Amino acid sequence: MNERQEQFPALLERLRPECEKIIAQYENPRSALLPIMQLFQEHEGFVSSEAMRAASEMLGVTPAVVESTVSFYTLLYRRPVGKYTVQVCRGLACTINGAEDVMRAFHEKLGVGHLETTPDGLVSYEEVECLAACDRATCAQVNLEFVYDLEPKRVDGMVTAMRTGAYAVAPRAQTEAPGRTWSLPRLGEVARGGRSAGAIGTESPDNAGGVGDEPGIIMLDRIVERGPSFYGATRERAVQEARDVVAVIEEEEGEGARAGH
Amino acid sequence: MPVTKVLTEGIGEVDLRSIEVYRKRGGYEQWKRALSSLKPEEVMEYADKSGLRGRGGAGFPTGKKWSFLPKNGKPRYLVCNSDEAEPGTFKDRMLIENVPHLVLEGMLLGAYGIGSHHAFIYIRGEFKDGYQVFARALDEARAAGFVGKNILSSGYDLEVTVHRGAGAYICGEETALLNSLEGKRGEPRLKPPFPAVEGLYGMPTVVNNVETLAYLVPVLARGWEWFAGAGTERSKGFKIVSVSGHVQRPGNYEVPLGTPVRELLDLAGGLRPGRTLKAIQPGGGSSACIFEEQLDLPYDYESLAKAGTMLGSGAVVVFDDTTDFVKAAYNLVRFFSHESCGQCTPCREGGHWLERVLERFVDGRGLRGDLDMMHRVSATITGINLCPLGDSIEPFLKSVLNRFPEQFEARIA
Repeated sequence: MNERQEQFPALLERLRPECEKIIAQYENPRSALLPIMQLFQEHEGFVSSEAMRAASEMLGVTPAVVESTVSFYTLLYRRPVGKYTVQVCRGLACTINGAEDVMRAFHEKLGVGHLETTPDGLVSYEEVECLAACDRATCAQVNLEFVYDLEPKRVDGMVTAMRTGAYAVAPRAQTEAPGRTWSLPRLGEVARGGRSAGAIGTESPDNAGGVGDEPGIIMLDRIVERGPSFYGATRERAVQEARDVVAVIEEEEGEGARAGH
Repeated sequence: MPVTKVLTEGIGEVDLRSIEVYRKRGGYEQWKRALSSLKPEEVMEYADKSGLRGRGGAGFPTGKKWSFLPKNGKPRYLVCNSDEAEPGTFKDRMLIENVPHLVLEGMLLGAYGIGSHHAFIYIRGEFKDGYQVFARALDEARAAGFVGKNILSSGYDLEVTVHRGAGAYICGEETALLNSLEGKRGEPRLKPPFPAVEGLYGMPTVVNNVETLAYLVPVLARGWEWFAGAGTERSKGFKIVSVSGHVQRPGNYEVPLGTPVRELLDLAGGLRPGRTLKAIQPGGGSSACIFEEQLDLPYDYESLAKAGTMLGSGAVVVFDDTTDFVKAAYNLVRFFSHESCGQCTPCREGGHWLERVLERFVDGRGLRGDLDMMHRVSATITGINLCPLGDSIEPFLKSVLNRFPEQFEARIA
């Protein structure tokens, strides 16, 4: 048991009254799931398995339901992240106004790329979808605080300020050292092959014969055209996808162990 | 042409986040009036006769949406949709960050109009500032007796709950939003039943956009005739338009509907010196482009629909001659592919395939036949999904494939 896990029961007791207050705001307790997970993330820096189990008990749903829900949302982190999350907007309005130069500046300064955390555990870097500040392109968020009119020349100063503790935004709680990435491969989004296992190893949806028997789009055409007789084919692919997800997790955990995480 | 100030009145001049400032300028007077002298049906009549259409993207008439609520005695809910995430749109964030009391008063009026005693606002997870500003405004309003039990001794109870999203574009779709608000994955529901019949917790529910609800306040204050007198026959009133991209003064501009696109471009300061216009995306990431020869199009729901595109959320993105449309197409397709919830095969697989194909075009490795294939795939995924996300992939892609084929052909290896 690590230090965070040892302290979890005390944290749970401290947060319980606030959780109960949140639950009381809704006609159905399950509505409190996201707010409760957000609350625990504020304190632990990420959504821990202990927090999910606690939520499942408080709300009367199974832990699997909690995990399935949490995994849907990109702002809930299932693994530890840096003290600063830097999220540069990759929306179209920012992209045509220089966002890629800003991204390159961050890659160089931080030495990491999209969905990665610096080895010292300080900064988690991510390129995110439109942040609704297109009039101030390029925009970004640091710990969800907006940074407007961002230019590459400001990146150096921002990162230096984070490293020296002088950055204007408070750091996130960090109760466990982050690994290389906090992003778990989602079901159907296999890290190496892209989203569709049926698409691995083939260049066009018109060429059957990737890992799956029927690349996604062909299957789609046939489902639409020919109906239920083709539904069965999806099972085959689902089995392959599940295998690939497991393979990626195992590979990453292997690397994590080697890197000492 | 001066910009109109209705919802944007006072923003940047005074601090309307403070309840004192808001009340000094007539704030909460309509709420007091509604409680003391208007029946809910009368509020509904204002919404209906004003011709106010949904400002979130679909443009559905607000009064009509409310009228679908069944009269079955079940509790009803009003949900304010502040999950603004359509690429290019930044008006709702401006409203909740700058005029939270106006948004709240609009919610209160809307809830009263449909006979709801519990209203929710779903604020996009990334809008931390907006959430804090709105939560503070709600506390102030509660302390002033505008929210809670037996409001201003009227006998009417109305509670308001602020709910934060956690990062998912699809939760802007109203049934996905309701699932998310119920603590579930934000996956759209099969319709019918529509939310008006079975919405939040299976009860009759109205989901309205921030801007839509905020407009109820001036509609009540100045009369539905005033609102309906602006705009066009079928697109009445005003709209906040978010203009961005290759313009000199990007920003939110509030205008009467029907204002020519050319004037929107002028309001935003026009193009940078020495640049020429290539395309305009008039209604957010989901809309098809319009071009130079269409600049006199009136900016309203029907004119844009007739031109084969849409007004959507009111996000106008301007592209000049420096634009790489292959990269732009890749950017938006990747967005929709990333944000697909994965429920429907056409959207999940089709979006993914188009992203992969466009990725190789960006790298200059396009294959012969890919252009036809992109047309075919994007058409195939349209119209056969639970929600409009999958349908949103085709319009921009198709419009730039047709207009700038040379940019794509140049990337075929």
